[in-house]
Amino acid sequence: MARSLKKGPYIDFRLESKVDAMNDSGKKSVIKTWSRRSMISPDFVGHTFAVHNGNKFIPVYVTENMVGHKFGEFAPTRNFRGHINKKDKGKR
Amino acid sequence: MTIGECFQLGYVTKVHGLNGEVTALFDVDTPQNYQELESVFVAYDEKLVPFFIDSFDLKGNKAIIGFEDIQSAEEAEQFKGKKLFLPLTILPELEDHQYYYHELIGYTVVDTDKTELGVVDQIYNLPGNDLIGVMHEGREILIPLKDELIVKLNKANKILNMRMPEGLLDIYKEEDEN
Repeated sequence: MARSLKKGPYIDFRLESKVDAMNDSGKKSVIKTWSRRSMISPDFVGHTFAVHNGNKFIPVYVTENMVGHKFGEFAPTRNFRGHINKKDKGKR
Repeated sequence: MTIGECFQLGYVTKVHGLNGEVTALFDVDTPQNYQELESVFVAYDEKLVPFFIDSFDLKGNKAIIGFEDIQSAEEAEQFKGKKLFLPLTILPELEDHQYYYHELIGYTVVDTDKTELGVVDQIYNLPGNDLIGVMHEGREILIPLKDELIVKLNKANKILNMRMPEGLLDIYKEEDEN
């Protein structure tokens, strides 16, 4: 079941306040977080977060298309391999 | 033809029907570019064996492929799980600011303050968050591979100028200390 709309999105309070402080000061340094369940809000766009995957921190640079997703989606806890072979993949 | 001279197009997921066709998943950005394929290399361990394509039907990133001289499901069974390759020479040339991920391996990453961070060792293709693994002072550091962070790509000298997020290196230093 989806989260009730009445409650609004869940964002860790400390994380949100850190981002707000950075947005106010104009700084953009990496923010460490263990809160994988926090939703990415539009205010987070352009910031880099180091999301803990249970073992180490995975850097996540937040872009607009990540808004509405949870941090945990971008820092897998398992099969952290993904070593790319030569593929027709890349920036075009 | 060796694997080093080829790129991976995708892999065969299963046998399709009873007439020797297989279903293949194309793990590329633009599968529709490969609709006119005449042949493909199938990897058997480290060896590449060419197969001519008899029939081809692409739907999204999945293709139903019929190989020449393969007429039954039993014969097609040999392709299950096999990787498909094509020569690197057929990849379209990209413009200066564009790149294929595999090309970046061996590039030197340089920060905006001209600090040399290290050489790209790995590309991690994570969902929605591709990363490059750079060897820095004997350990691997991960940097998000995003357009917003790439300042310049110098293909001639194999240099990737990036705007490193402030404090990213400190996280790795802290990890080392702990």
